[in-house]
Amino acid sequence: MQLVPTQHYLILAAVLFCLGMLGVLVRRNALVVFMCVELMLNAANLTFLAFARERGDVTGHLSAFFIIAVAAAEAAVGLAIVIAVFRSRGTVNIDELHTMKH
Amino acid sequence: MIDCSDFQSFGQYFSTHGFTDTVTCFVQNPPFNTANIGNSLWMIIALPILGAFFCGVFGKFMGRSNTHLIASASVFGSFLLSVMVFWAVNPSSTVAPNPFGSTLRYAVGADYGTWFQAGDFRVNFGLLADHLSASMLMVITGVGFLIHLYSTSYMSHDKAYWRYFAYLNLFVAMMLTLVLADSLVLLFVGWEGVGMCSYLLIGFWYDDPAKAFAGRKAFITNRIGDFGFLVACFLLVLTMGAFTLQAKNNNFPGDGTGSSQVFKAGLSAKGPLSFAAIDAFTRALPSKADSNQVTLSTVIDNGPLKGFAYGAMVTVILLCFLLGAAGKSAQFPLYVWLPDAMAGPTPVSALIHAATMVTAGIYLFCRLSYLVVLSPTAMAVIAVTGGITALLAALIAFAQDDIKKILAYSTVSQLGFMFMAIGAGAFWAAFLHVVTHAFFKACLFLGAGSVMHGNAEETNIKKLGGLSKEMPVTWATFLISTLAITGMVPLSGFFSKDAILHALHTTTLEGYEHILHWVWYVGLATAACTAFYMMRLYVLTFHGTRAPDAKVPHAHESDWQMTLPLVVLAMLAIAAVAHGIPVMENANREGPLQTVMENYLHPVFQNAMRSIEATGFVTVEHEEGLPWGAWGMAWAIALAGGGLSIVLYRFVFKRDGQWSGPAEFIRSLAQHKFYVDELYELLVIRPVKFVSFIFFKIVDSLLIDTVAVRGTAWVTAQTGAALRYLQSGDAQSYAAIMTLGLMCALFYALFKVL
Amino acid sequence: MSAEFVLFWVFAIATAMSALGVIVTKNPIASAMSLVATFFFLAGIYVLLWAHTVAVLQVMVYAGAIMVLFLFVIMLLSLGEDTSMTKFSPTRIIGGVATAGLLAALVLAFRKLPEASTGWAASVDQLKAFGTLSQLGDVLYKQWLFPFEAVSLLLLVAIVGAVVVAKPRI
Repeated sequence: MQLVPTQHYLILAAVLFCLGMLGVLVRRNALVVFMCVELMLNAANLTFLAFARERGDVTGHLSAFFIIAVAAAEAAVGLAIVIAVFRSRGTVNIDELHTMKH
Repeated sequence: MIDCSDFQSFGQYFSTHGFTDTVTCFVQNPPFNTANIGNSLWMIIALPILGAFFCGVFGKFMGRSNTHLIASASVFGSFLLSVMVFWAVNPSSTVAPNPFGSTLRYAVGADYGTWFQAGDFRVNFGLLADHLSASMLMVITGVGFLIHLYSTSYMSHDKAYWRYFAYLNLFVAMMLTLVLADSLVLLFVGWEGVGMCSYLLIGFWYDDPAKAFAGRKAFITNRIGDFGFLVACFLLVLTMGAFTLQAKNNNFPGDGTGSSQVFKAGLSAKGPLSFAAIDAFTRALPSKADSNQVTLSTVIDNGPLKGFAYGAMVTVILLCFLLGAAGKSAQFPLYVWLPDAMAGPTPVSALIHAATMVTAGIYLFCRLSYLVVLSPTAMAVIAVTGGITALLAALIAFAQDDIKKILAYSTVSQLGFMFMAIGAGAFWAAFLHVVTHAFFKACLFLGAGSVMHGNAEETNIKKLGGLSKEMPVTWATFLISTLAITGMVPLSGFFSKDAILHALHTTTLEGYEHILHWVWYVGLATAACTAFYMMRLYVLTFHGTRAPDAKVPHAHESDWQMTLPLVVLAMLAIAAVAHGIPVMENANREGPLQTVMENYLHPVFQNAMRSIEATGFVTVEHEEGLPWGAWGMAWAIALAGGGLSIVLYRFVFKRDGQWSGPAEFIRSLAQHKFYVDELYELLVIRPVKFVSFIFFKIVDSLLIDTVAVRGTAWVTAQTGAALRYLQSGDAQSYAAIMTLGLMCALFYALFKVL
Repeated sequence: MSAEFVLFWVFAIATAMSALGVIVTKNPIASAMSLVATFFFLAGIYVLLWAHTVAVLQVMVYAGAIMVLFLFVIMLLSLGEDTSMTKFSPTRIIGGVATAGLLAALVLAFRKLPEASTGWAASVDQLKAFGTLSQLGDVLYKQWLFPFEAVSLLLLVAIVGAVVVAKPRI
């Protein structure tokens, strides 16, 4: 049986990661930025799973499992922060949020 | 020799023998097993440490009476244990372990194992009590307990009483460590410990800057001495190391008690700084030139001391030890801290700065007696130092008006006497004076404390007077102690001081024939001065009419906690006479009669005495019979000095009488302590301050403050100001830069790998 | 060309396209829906990688739970269209260039990797058991019990944190 080479999956993961990163860098809407971070996390998951099959080690699956849990926690807290920011500033456009300058 | 073999109990023996024999046998047969008492020596030190811990940590919550109880009881417990040790070292069957072959009789000791080790060098943690240590134990714990008792009343109004008792207990523990140590290193622990406690207690009332300064002065002066002590220890280790490699078999007696192998084995078991090792080293080093042996004149052929003779090294080591002892025992030129130390509470002055700590230097030289007698040069220097100190301090004491300052200078002067005795090789006389001085000087200080307590802390004797009726107990005990220190016949001070003067008169040092004779004259003059200023102090304080400018119209007698120690110490000052009367025959039943103290300490100093006979460095002229002539002269001198003082201050001078002319000039000179402190200021402190000022300007102000501290701050601030334009606060631009960095790192890694 | 290859290419292109949709659509709702599609296609890729369990979790947790959370927040804040997309700034140019460079570097690196192999499998049974729920559970509860419990604690902290941050007053 001819298997799809691992590098195909890895390159797909790289594409996903870079698309996510591009989104983080260019989008101004904080919610979309969050979604792009989720994309990047999924790229990492894909890499773990690809290597898990390559090496026959289910530890990669477990890592993906933990990443999903962490992503859920991150989404919950991150969205709560977005709501809090929106409540105090009336916007989620990160162009207008320059608090790190002070 | 009395045969005590059939002694069972006091009553049984007394029925068949005389009283004296019975007492002797009773003392020589302790009613307990002495074999293992060495292993329990640590308890004597542990008790006061425990007391210090409880008083220091819980004292604030325990209340006054509980703190007093714990502090006094721990010292009293130590006293009881010390009595047991004192008793245990009396029978000749008591033997301490000694890895150097020779039997260490009349001593108990224990080695608790390695303390630290570096290569061949090791230090064991061991304790040893022989007759010298046991006597010191009795003095420290006995006088210490009385002073604790006294302090319970004296310090009863102080709010930091718990701190005071913690320090006092710690001091007792450290002093006990000092006298029980069986090596110079452990002795140094006690040495530093008592110095630290002294510092803490001098500056006890630290919110008064003058008192805190006095504490610092004592500490720093002592540090100079400690430096000498340490250098001496290092040189000793080097010298003994060189000797171990260079020694020949003839250096050791062939009877198996001290062969070369035994010496080396003992050295590796106990370490070179243990007293047993130094003893063995001095026994193996004869003075007469002999090609088959390493002698004092042999030149060291290995190690860093190569090229120096052993005898020269011994002299240098002893001079360094003299520096250490001069710091601790307040000898010229390091005595300046002791008078200032009177800033502490008076019981502290009695315990630390009169009875115990300041005698540590004398104890050290007594402990190293076998080393001291190997160098007549060092002995001469010690004697001269003692002589200068004794006379100078006595002269300064002439014109002081502060009751405690007079007693402090008197202490310095008496310590000078003890050093003279060391210099003459009369170690037992020095130690006898240590013991008698501890009793009467502690009594004098406590009496002064009682006077201050009853007169609203007045210390100026010109503002006291007429106290003999208002404070009868203090007066009586003060009189006894004053007579003791001036050297009146039936009191202990006469015999101890006369023993020293007698030794100076009859001893000759090889190469320094006339020095001791001159020191003897100085001693006689000092004795007269002592009598004069002590009687002046006594007369102005207790007789005449009450000064019109006294703080309180009527003094009050102190509580029993304060008067009881006074009475006990005064009685001891009388009873200590028993140590000083020559009634004992020596071991060979020949020669002049020995005093009780000389006979008692014979086991401790026998190696030194044997060394004196072998080397011929020190010759002692023996006289037949009792020295009536010398006694009469000493007594007459004391009587003349004291009598003159009484006549002058009782009948000639008015209370505020002024001297005139040249007398006034000398008086003012003495009152300003011969400007020694000012001389120090000019010669030492000013230059040091000047150099510090230069360093402060160049190193601190310029290099560190301006260049290093402000310079880095300036560079940082300027860089920050330049870089602040990069901080946009835009998270995405930061992320973009980060991605750029990540990309560059990845490409770099790829090029490295591919 | 086997069915596996065909499926891989279909899923891969669909994943990449929907992921692109996330970052190019102006409406946040459209972005979120594209992300849901991405997660579904990725789940297919996971199945191809024999990670059935993770694929199911992906659909349930990501597409089911997390994306619902996102949609709720978008609705709650009633966000309009993002109009800043057309603006170009130095930051965006640097970001775009850096990301493209990063992709190139990664692709270059991954092309050097060897082909896939199943040399680690001693038997067909072993191959069939790989990535099943029973095998995963065995490893998770025996070797990874502590991290597993730690993650439960993390989720608890996240719940509390989300409540504390989002509520105006507690």
